[in-house]
Amino acid sequence: MEVQAVSAETQGTVSAPRVGKPKAVSGGLPVVGHAIEFARDCLGLLWRAYQEQGELATLKVFNKEIVLFTGPRAQEAMYRQPDDVLSPNDAYKIMVPVFGKDVVYDASPERMHEQMGMLRPALQDKRMRTYGEIVAEETRRMVSDWGERGEIDLVDFCAKLTNYTSTHCLIGREFREHMSDEFAQVYYDLERGVTPASYIHANLPIPSVWRRDRARVRLVEMIGEIVEARRASGRESEDFLQTLMDARYKDGSRLSDHEITGMLLAAMFAGHHTSSVTTAWTLIELLKAPDYLDRMLGELEQVYPAGADVTFQSLRQIPLTEYAIKEALRLRPPLYILLRSVVADSFEFDGYKFEKGTWLANSPWVSHRIPTVFSDPWRFDPDRFGPGREEDKKQFTFVSFGGGRHKCLGNAFALLQVKTIFAILMRGFSFELMHDPIVAESGLVMGPKKPFRVRYRRLRPNGAF
Amino acid sequence: MKIVIDWDLCQGHANCTGDAPEVFHVDDEGKLHVLVSEPSEDLRPKVELAVRYCPTGAIRIQD
Repeated sequence: MEVQAVSAETQGTVSAPRVGKPKAVSGGLPVVGHAIEFARDCLGLLWRAYQEQGELATLKVFNKEIVLFTGPRAQEAMYRQPDDVLSPNDAYKIMVPVFGKDVVYDASPERMHEQMGMLRPALQDKRMRTYGEIVAEETRRMVSDWGERGEIDLVDFCAKLTNYTSTHCLIGREFREHMSDEFAQVYYDLERGVTPASYIHANLPIPSVWRRDRARVRLVEMIGEIVEARRASGRESEDFLQTLMDARYKDGSRLSDHEITGMLLAAMFAGHHTSSVTTAWTLIELLKAPDYLDRMLGELEQVYPAGADVTFQSLRQIPLTEYAIKEALRLRPPLYILLRSVVADSFEFDGYKFEKGTWLANSPWVSHRIPTVFSDPWRFDPDRFGPGREEDKKQFTFVSFGGGRHKCLGNAFALLQVKTIFAILMRGFSFELMHDPIVAESGLVMGPKKPFRVRYRRLRPNGAF
Repeated sequence: MKIVIDWDLCQGHANCTGDAPEVFHVDDEGKLHVLVSEPSEDLRPKVELAVRYCPTGAIRIQD
């Protein structure tokens, strides 16, 4: 099958067939190509590729061709393709050591579809309308033992808080109450075991991979105990754990314990680290933009007078908070490389023909720094999303969550979650940065490097925010 | 007003069913059904909410 990317956006711009490939980025070595730089400084490589070649640039990782697609037109062509043309599955094989065999991306497309279907209700409207209150409760609980003044490690704080909020919402209260400090530590090791190097080989003989595999063994034990306890109690709850325990595939079979564990890990993994670093970056960027922060706090005070609760409706009335989060997501997209592989015989774009097996990449980090799309793109300027400007209004420009049918399923949940955290936290406390410059770590998810200490000062007693 | 869906984008979040249940329905498989493709003007505020808050930006109003 041969497919030409023609859509409302690209129509009329498809040119005559071109010979060869988009130009290669500099720095490729014999045999390994750009593999070393890809593993060590992926972002630096992607940025240079765009700087040198623009919309389409080829890089090579050993014998794998990766074509970087940048800009709304190229992004739309890439993200709109159906699964039988461009598939995310090859790239997501890096998650197999985390989720386990036969789970999600390692399952057949039909199985994967059925498994994703089990997760869907947790992210749909009816449940979503209940999550604001849960996130608010968890946030208040996290800060209840804070004093009048103090210091925290922001990275640690955000990781713990979002572990509780996302697990409580998506998996259930019982599961959340079983989460110990050991759970959080082991889970952290699991997350850190996936890096850009994993795209080259998922099981490199390196310490982070050993820690990752040890962590998974321990997590499987811990989750197994929770599942066993639920089963033994005979109790039934309305949560994701129950959904999985009761679920049947279309052929009538039930999920094995291995699959249940894998699905729980997938749900946690997808929603955790990304939300955690987004919370941290949003606070950091806001503290560096005091004028905007003042306006945002004013809006929060207005929408949440003393005693007001965080509801689904009220969360729609704090756009300044939402713009700040989106702006942090634009400048610091947690996932800075998103991949698809050509699974049709070939895929054509802009006159180029990409053969089966080629990987296409988009870097939200790079795409968000195109000055013709986002004005003054390096500046933290949340108002760019506000009335009159709406720089993300055109589809496929703001791509922190990817796009098309494989756009992050949790995008609405993520925004709701982080908005709620700020609605609570910023009325209870004021914060102050203690260091600059800020260094980002180079894992698969780009967060501020730990430890990152900030000072807090209490504004209201517990129970009053 | 006419409802236009970008089917490449819809993921069945069902946000629209909360904002405008008269117009949108999402079935158990996550598939969206537009119940009224040309809703009456009195539904406009609800449909506008559905458009505005769709997590994938898949809904458009054509006048």
